[in-house]
Amino acid sequence: MITLAQFAYKPSDHEAEKASNSYLMSLIAVIAGLPLPIINLIATFIFYMGNRNGTYFVRWHCTQALLSQASLLLMNSAGFWWTMSIIFGPEKVTNTYLSYIVTVFFFNLIEFIVTIYTAVTVRKGIHVSWWFYGDITNLICKPNHDHEKNIFSRL
Amino acid sequence: MRRIFFQGCSVVVLFFAAWFALRQVDWMSFFKVKQATESLEEKLGDIFSEIFGRDELYSSSVTAPIDSILTRLCTENDIDRDQIKLHIVDNDEVNAFALPDKHLVVFSGLILSAENESEVCGVLGHELAHIQLGHVMKKLVKEIGLSVLISMTAGGSGEVVREAAKMLSSSAFDRELEREADIKSVDYMVKADIRPEPFADFMFRLSGEETEIAKALTWVSTHPDSKDRAEYIIGYSKNKRCEYRPVLSEESWENLQKRLGEGE
Repeated sequence: MITLAQFAYKPSDHEAEKASNSYLMSLIAVIAGLPLPIINLIATFIFYMGNRNGTYFVRWHCTQALLSQASLLLMNSAGFWWTMSIIFGPEKVTNTYLSYIVTVFFFNLIEFIVTIYTAVTVRKGIHVSWWFYGDITNLICKPNHDHEKNIFSRL
Repeated sequence: MRRIFFQGCSVVVLFFAAWFALRQVDWMSFFKVKQATESLEEKLGDIFSEIFGRDELYSSSVTAPIDSILTRLCTENDIDRDQIKLHIVDNDEVNAFALPDKHLVVFSGLILSAENESEVCGVLGHELAHIQLGHVMKKLVKEIGLSVLISMTAGGSGEVVREAAKMLSSSAFDRELEREADIKSVDYMVKADIRPEPFADFMFRLSGEETEIAKALTWVSTHPDSKDRAEYIIGYSKNKRCEYRPVLSEESWENLQKRLGEGE
């Protein structure tokens, strides 16, 4: 599910801290105790926007954090609006609904644990690539600056 | 790229497979959803019925005829009559409403305003539909909030309870829910061999009087567009075949009106 790998270059301590923070941003809604699923994504997106001109290592991890939140948003939003339609609309609490909420809870829990692990590992300057999300990130996130490209081409 | 597509599909399949597998577990029993809901409803029902029960009429000459109408509606529509708690309250307002835990409150003013049993039956059917379709708790949760309701059952403030009781007795449900209850009431009546047209007549007649004595006609004034409702009830019941079978004799009906008129 997650792979520890060598990055194109050895990130500095400052870069590792910023990259690690991108994962902490995705946990902000849990810390704030907010039930709205969009908050995680917004927080991660703001952090991403703030660092989109940062170094390759920081950008790479901001993108991976953002992508993971985007997919969670889909399943969390469905759960959120389903709950709203039960409270305010004609829907009723059924076994299908409860099993959906339990499934979403497990997926969120797994993501939560993996996010914390990644934040801690990345803080040490170790590159962590997630299954599926890491590959998409590799497609989206390319080295920008010449010196980054040089480092990349030397490896 | 192909690998990413395969991985993406795997994530989606994994999610739905997990959902399907977890669906095999009886979460309703695990979380005790039914028991928790019933317990909350029961407590709320007791609280609210106590408020309205202060002026309740217990004389059998008043309760028996209304009970007979309700029993006909319930038995012909496979509704457990024993679960419906009927309260007839001495109050001049033209009003009837449903409370949590299947309490059905009818004010004497409404019975006095009706010209025949079918009109009362229409209103009873309408409130019965709100009960059977689970509208009452939905309205409470929507208007007051689940946390406040739970705190009420744990001995919350009397003011909140009074406000909630006022809201339940004097405000309508959403337009869609009202329509659903009207249509269901027509179905109940037809199945019980009671003509639905008088129900529409009742609303049409009272909506005309609305401007003069609006405040006293709570049931009609809080339910929007009574004329529209009368029209769609007539439209819906037009093709319904119904062999009218009276519940009460004319004498019983007149006796009921007389007793209530005397202020029993």
